[in-house]
Amino acid sequence: MFRAQALLLALLLALAGLLGALGRERQRAAALGRAPDRAGGKVERCVTCHVRPEEDPGGAHARAAVGCSSCHLGNPFAFDKARAHAGMEPEPGALRSVARTCGRSGCHVREAARVATSLMARASGIVSVNRWAFGEVSEPRGTATMVDLLAKEERTPAEDHLAKLCAGCHLHALRASRDDAIHGNGSGCSACHVARRLPGAVPRPHPSVDAHVTDDRCLGCHSRSGRIALTYEGLYEIEPAQAAALGTAATTLHDGRPAGHAEADVHRRAGLSCVDCHLHTDLMGDGTRHEHSESQVEIACEACHGPARDGGETTWAEVRDPITRDLLRQQGETRPPGERVRLGRHGTPVWNLRPSEGGWSTLRKRQGVALATRPTPADANHRLPGHERLTCSACHSAWAPTCSTCHTRYDAEGAQWDFAKAAETPGRWVEASEGYDARPPALAVRPDGRIAPAIPGMVMDLDAAAGSGPRVSRRLYASLDPHSTGKKARDCASCHLSSWALGLGTGTLSFESGAASFSPASPATDDARLAVDGWTLLDAPSPGIGTRVGLRSLDAAELRRALAVSACLPCHAKATDLVWRDFAGSKARLARGGTRCGFRSAGSPRPSARAEGAGLVGLKDIR
Amino acid sequence: MILGRVTFGLLAVALFSGLALAPFWSAGRALESLETLNGATPWGFFLRGVHAFSAWGFLLGTLAHLGEVLWKRTESRLRPAVWWRSVALLPVAVLALLGGFLMRGDAEAQAALAVWREVSSSVPIAGRALAALLLGLPGADLAPVSLHHAGTFTLLAWLLTAEHGGTLLPDLRSTVLAALASFAAAGLFPVSLGPPVAPDGALLLGPWYLLGLQGALLDLPVAAGWLLPLALLLAVGLVRHADGRARAALLALAAAWGAGYLALTLRLLLAAR
Repeated sequence: MFRAQALLLALLLALAGLLGALGRERQRAAALGRAPDRAGGKVERCVTCHVRPEEDPGGAHARAAVGCSSCHLGNPFAFDKARAHAGMEPEPGALRSVARTCGRSGCHVREAARVATSLMARASGIVSVNRWAFGEVSEPRGTATMVDLLAKEERTPAEDHLAKLCAGCHLHALRASRDDAIHGNGSGCSACHVARRLPGAVPRPHPSVDAHVTDDRCLGCHSRSGRIALTYEGLYEIEPAQAAALGTAATTLHDGRPAGHAEADVHRRAGLSCVDCHLHTDLMGDGTRHEHSESQVEIACEACHGPARDGGETTWAEVRDPITRDLLRQQGETRPPGERVRLGRHGTPVWNLRPSEGGWSTLRKRQGVALATRPTPADANHRLPGHERLTCSACHSAWAPTCSTCHTRYDAEGAQWDFAKAAETPGRWVEASEGYDARPPALAVRPDGRIAPAIPGMVMDLDAAAGSGPRVSRRLYASLDPHSTGKKARDCASCHLSSWALGLGTGTLSFESGAASFSPASPATDDARLAVDGWTLLDAPSPGIGTRVGLRSLDAAELRRALAVSACLPCHAKATDLVWRDFAGSKARLARGGTRCGFRSAGSPRPSARAEGAGLVGLKDIR
Repeated sequence: MILGRVTFGLLAVALFSGLALAPFWSAGRALESLETLNGATPWGFFLRGVHAFSAWGFLLGTLAHLGEVLWKRTESRLRPAVWWRSVALLPVAVLALLGGFLMRGDAEAQAALAVWREVSSSVPIAGRALAALLLGLPGADLAPVSLHHAGTFTLLAWLLTAEHGGTLLPDLRSTVLAALASFAAAGLFPVSLGPPVAPDGALLLGPWYLLGLQGALLDLPVAAGWLLPLALLLAVGLVRHADGRARAALLALAAAWGAGYLALTLRLLLAAR
């Protein structure tokens, strides 16, 4: 009896089950796609639904070549949407999953591993300098990364400042929490390798993904802070009031900020884009956890223009760098083993620089156009005694964007987007300045002793008291390569007769009885001898400090030496002038034998038509 | 005992549904073949469901029948050697089912395969050889797993069940009942597959009957993966040879083991949520 009842119950339940299964079977049959279900030589059922041409990124990552799941993960074998999309990565290239997407076996394993250690991902330089400026650490250096910082629940004022103003650019920031200016690119690898979706552009369901990183992708992030990408284009950011004054001469940047025009970098005018100079290690890192960008960036002017540094040139037979080999293969190029190749500072080959008749030529990577690369001439300008410590960019940087004063204040009552939380959170950092400018950069002494361009990096008043932070004034310059290289170097007077270039700030240099004095145009509130935008004083007991350990302004002795020639410049303006061959000897002869030198001792050096117009002017001419 | 006969029937249903599934499964493309079975083969999902539910039913039936035997103190009806072989049916059933789980080839199965390889390798002296024998070499396809699933362990389970029941084949009524129950469950409750790749940070769960062991391995050395089950089997097996307080102590030990196992299962499920 019990068995019969059990059988009957089982039969009824089985019928119910079969009915349920019948319904699901009908659904399954109806939903079964009829399109091909293979891509890239493997089962890829994504393409049974995603069939539209505009859903294809094309190029090396074309749907037909790699399918969808190689980058987007998910389940390529599934027949229904829910299962197919389970575990999908909507943002391929994001560093959270890069080892399984771009960095998967057989694809870009080396590059993905490097990117995670690169400064674009870690931003350790920005983190350490900002913490130092806030007085939270003793030196502007450290290995803490933006990722570490964003993961913290309790943040210091400096960390909060970074999370709200700076963190939107680092490569870990996901698309939903990126800076407005770069929104749309995605994060990680995609930040550079995915075509930008500029405002107003027709949106494509799937952007192209390629190795040709166009300048507009760099612009998103590098139009901030040092603003090198803007400078390279011949643009400098200005305040709205300045834009109004400029009228039609002003322009609007991709993210709405107003900008003025200046001369673009000579390389830009030659059609070179960012990646034509910068090596893969400059951008994706070399696997070393560098603290600051200047140690990660390998390329230097000398690599192309020479003279090559010791060990800066080899032959392709000696090149072992696999990524460079991959790049050549992608470009369909080969290099004979015996061909010479120049190297970056850490030994990475500059593969698009090739020996040519009488020198070297640079290949524009995207267009494949070769440009003759002018070698550094061994002339008087480049052998000028006393200028051995100058970097190329110290003279050849035509201008740099400057924001001479900055007021940063924490408003506890306000709210602001927080890149760590991907939401607006209480507290707002408010920045204000007296306007932007574009002018020849000042000079700094780098930690390695060389003299390089510098701009006011953090000449600022910081008031974070409302956020339990400090209330301090900082007078820090930052050294940078502005990316405003000109074929023509700045003239002697633009450094030796410029208070700005010498780090004294805006004002008037005067010479009384052979001694220089400086009168600031706008004195600083804490020291009337100091210009509000100045870095140091003529007789400062110690030089001004910068945003790196060891970076400083010219010290008093260096300033004296720089100014010592200023009296002669109005007449002897050219480096070819014989007086510069042995300046000390020239001065001694002048002291011994009297002079007809036009410079006396009153006021500023007079302009000399003769000095500007004449070719060779020597001591013999003024005796 | 009807429970024992129905359990045998469930084994028969699992065997025949497994035979029907075999042509659709590929050792080198396990997940893909199962997705195709589920999504592109008419009634494939149902057939897979019948196989899964009948196999789970067999394991549950074996456990329940064991409990029934111990409760009714009927273990002494079996000769000691037969009793020990009947007790051995429990790990054989688990290993047969585990093989089926591993054959899914999804992220959960891959994780379980890695764990099981470690557990097998931790057996002294013969561990690595045992792991290679049962699971194949690391990186190889799932052919060895499938052979043991469909061959070794299924055959063993059949032989041990037949010896225990004293009959080579299950009776028709029990088999029909088992089949109907499996159809009902397969029709009403679809059997899912896991993701091909584990989502970041996700805690992947093994088969439901091994969750307690998985939970234990979060805290214990990997050798606990075979030592703990062995302890249970010894306790249950020795019941046949014990009387009075010794029997009660062994049963208490087994019960405590089971309670602990359930607690670890719950803890793991809560952690996974």
